Amino acid sequence: MKQRKALLAAIIIAVVLMVALASTRQYYIAIALGVEVLLVFRREIWHLGRYRRLPPFDERFQENAKKAARNSFIYMSVATVFLMLAYAINVDYVVDYEPFQVLGWLLISGGLVYLLGYIFYDRVEPKLRERELKRYWTFLRIAGIGFGCAITSIFLHNVIGRFVGIEEPVFFVIGVLLAPTAMGVGLVGSLVYFIKGLLRKQLPEINQPDDERIQP
Amino acid sequence: MKTKIKEYRGRYNLTQERLAELVGVRRETIIFLEQGKYNPSLRLAYNIARALGASIDEIFIFEEGED
Repeated sequence: MKQRKALLAAIIIAVVLMVALASTRQYYIAIALGVEVLLVFRREIWHLGRYRRLPPFDERFQENAKKAARNSFIYMSVATVFLMLAYAINVDYVVDYEPFQVLGWLLISGGLVYLLGYIFYDRVEPKLRERELKRYWTFLRIAGIGFGCAITSIFLHNVIGRFVGIEEPVFFVIGVLLAPTAMGVGLVGSLVYFIKGLLRKQLPEINQPDDERIQP
Repeated sequence: MKTKIKEYRGRYNLTQERLAELVGVRRETIIFLEQGKYNPSLRLAYNIARALGASIDEIFIFEEGED
């Protein structure tokens, strides 16, 4: 019951915020908030539409949702710090965009991180073998390290260029070539295992009583 | 951890969907429990055992050396 009330409250707050933002012509962030709500509550909305009632908020759902929300929070915190750094040193391809646009994309990507995290814990992780799971995490770490290195290198390249006045080559090569390549490899690798786990048919397709019935 | 949920479901002609409804969880939770890929809370284990007319240790078999 608590979860149902919390869900209802979250949706009402989001709708009120969207209307308020749209009335002040902040359309980007209003749309982003709408997309975020759809991404985060897609399961509840789908279930409500199909069965005319909310799905059970069982303990497994709560565990997975908590883990996914934690991942999304970490992602948004780290991304916010990087964006603040980018604004602080005037990185051209970030500052070119309106802050509300950037905030909108941050919200949408945060919702996506939540969704992917939830799908992973709910559907992918239980279906991957131990060895595959290890490889998945290794690829994800490579992608994360690549992403961190790329942002840090671009930041350092800009700082050195701005304050020392030289066109620094090492961080430029790392930030533009090496780190993005590592990130790409990591992302593709982890995506392969993610899809592999998602598509693996361990769950029965249809829950037919006759198929499942076991003779005692 | 191994479970005898499937076996006991068979005795009562219960589908995964129906058992899930009885104990207030999603069908996926029952599926992963049957496959031994999810460790339930004591409350859920108790609810499942009660729904299947058995005790917890009849349904859930904890193997030595497991975390």
